[in-house]
Amino acid sequence: MKTLNKTNVITAVVLLIGGLSPNLASANSARDTIISGFSSVAELPVSAERGKALFESSPAAGKPDTPSCTTCHGASPMTSGMTRAGKPIEPMAVSVTAERFTDLKKVQKWFRRNCKSVLGRECTAQEKGDFLTFMSSR
Amino acid sequence: MSDLNKNLKVWDLPTRVFHWSLVILVAVGLITGFISPESWMGIHVWAGYGTVLLVIFRLVWGIFGSEFSRIETFSFTIKQLIAHINELIFLRPLHYIGHNPAGAMMIFALIFFLFGISTSGLLVLGGEENQGPLAGAVNFQVGDMASEVHTTLVFILMALICFHITGVIIEIYLTGENLVKSMIDGYKVIPKGKTAPEIRPSRPIAAASFLLAFAILSGSVLWAFSTMPPSGIIQMAANSDYATECGDCHEVYHPSLLPLVSWAKLMGDLEDHFGEDASLDQDVTNNISEHLNVYAAEAWDTEASNRFSKVSSDAPYQISATAYWQRKHTDIDPEVFKRNGIGGKGHCVSCHSDAATGHFDDQNIKIPES
Ligand code: HEC
Ligand code: HEC
Ligand code: HEC
Repeated sequence: MKTLNKTNVITAVVLLIGGLSPNLASANSARDTIISGFSSVAELPVSAERGKALFESSPAAGKPDTPSCTTCHGASPMTSGMTRAGKPIEPMAVSVTAERFTDLKKVQKWFRRNCKSVLGRECTAQEKGDFLTFMSSR
Repeated sequence: MSDLNKNLKVWDLPTRVFHWSLVILVAVGLITGFISPESWMGIHVWAGYGTVLLVIFRLVWGIFGSEFSRIETFSFTIKQLIAHINELIFLRPLHYIGHNPAGAMMIFALIFFLFGISTSGLLVLGGEENQGPLAGAVNFQVGDMASEVHTTLVFILMALICFHITGVIIEIYLTGENLVKSMIDGYKVIPKGKTAPEIRPSRPIAAASFLLAFAILSGSVLWAFSTMPPSGIIQMAANSDYATECGDCHEVYHPSLLPLVSWAKLMGDLEDHFGEDASLDQDVTNNISEHLNVYAAEAWDTEASNRFSKVSSDAPYQISATAYWQRKHTDIDPEVFKRNGIGGKGHCVSCHSDAATGHFDDQNIKIPES
């Protein structure tokens, strides 16, 4: 068998990047669209700082078993979490789980549920934008 | 020992092998039925099939075997039986070269009950577990009834075994003849003065051809039964909403695990689902409700669908709160459910590899080690 020569390797790498980047780009743009959808109706410019605070806070204002986002998502966005029923949840940080926050329906569904469970109310567009901005920065 | 002399080969090899194989299979059946975990049920079932084969073999050998294996040589009249029992009561039993009347009765009883136990076992297997050749022919209710018959017959069998062993011990004591050894080497002693009867040899070829014919006949009957699809198991259309939405936080529960009313209540309570908000868009909720409506427990006839239909009144849509679930899992240390590989009571699939199908077969139970 012929050994791999330089040109082959380069071609492979180019093809690989070429094949991946459109997906990555479209994932990123889908997420950006979602975030800007929230930020356009938010009062303040979105802030990763406030998103971090929301993620780490323990408002315990919703249901007793879910005092914080970290109850299920784990203490760090970079690591996996676990549902109360024992199923693993992929890390929330976009740098680890690239396909995060790319489906508006899914994002809205989970914000609705999880904010009600943790905060006892729906999250505002501001909170949603902040949260997603924080996760995208990780 | 002075009045006992001549040794005579009484039990031929097949009869002895039959006897001790039966001892082993019945012991295996009792252990796997009463003591060992349910995941050993496969072995229990094989012990059952083995027992049937042995019993059938013994009946055939009772026709074609050598002299003392033949049923006719130990078919006594009631009068003879009563006489023998009288002799036993006065501790002066006559000597029998082959089986004595009490022993013969015991053999017929054992064979009768073993047949009953195997048949009822096959009905339980087909009816409750939807397995084996009768899975398609027998429904859950019949299987459930057979299960009670099966247990009752087993208790009678255990009593018979006790009688049998006691009887052997008494006879050894009274006649001074080691019957256990006889059943191992085949020899019994003939009292002085008693002439050995003429011994007719066995007819192994006749026995083998008879057994073969029987095996082909019964095999094809069972095979014909086994081609019937398992009763009470229906084809379920896939529903992607159910599979994704209800599989986000835990495994997807098979719709047969809860009755209609429970699913309806669960779907109405999604905003407070076991302490969480699991609400869905209305159209998705409707679609899932429809799916559950069609495939709830009522549409099936499996062990799980029948058992879990009796839900707990406090938690009408929690499978793990049903009395049956609790009873089946009491022996499991609560710590076990907390293990990483398991993830809680509701994570059936970590111990039941076939949970997604709703079958929950005994053979597919395995508790992960860590
Ligand atoms: C009771 C457990 C639980 C709690 C508490 C929880 N989440 Fe979640 N969250 C989940 C699960 C399960 C998912 C879906 C699993 C997945 O996407 O991997 C999810 C998904 C999400 C998603 C959508 C992810 C995506 O890829 O689109 C967002 C956004 C989200 N959660 C935000 C939050 C916020 C904000 C909080 C705190 C206010 C929170 N969650 C608290 C369990 C929880
Ligand atoms: C937001 C997360 C979440 C979603 C989505 C969800 N569940 Fe649950 N479910 C739970 C939790 C948490 C439990 C309790 C688990 C425990 O105590 O171990 C549970 C328990 C159950 C149980 C009882 C299990 C048992 O122990 O017997 C059933 C049945 C059930 N869910 C059905 C459903 C159905 C049907 C859906 C889809 C409509 C659904 N779930 C969606 C979180 C969820
Ligand atoms: C920690 C492991 C474990 C988990 C989790 C578990 N089971 Fe079991 N289950 C067992 C064991 C072990 C047995 C056998 C008990 C015995 O030997 O009597 C069993 C028995 C059963 C049986 C009876 C099987 C039969 O044919 O007799 C059913 C049905 C069943 N489980 C359903 C469930 C369901 C439904 C769930 C989830 C809600 C579940 N199990 C979760 C370990 C588990």
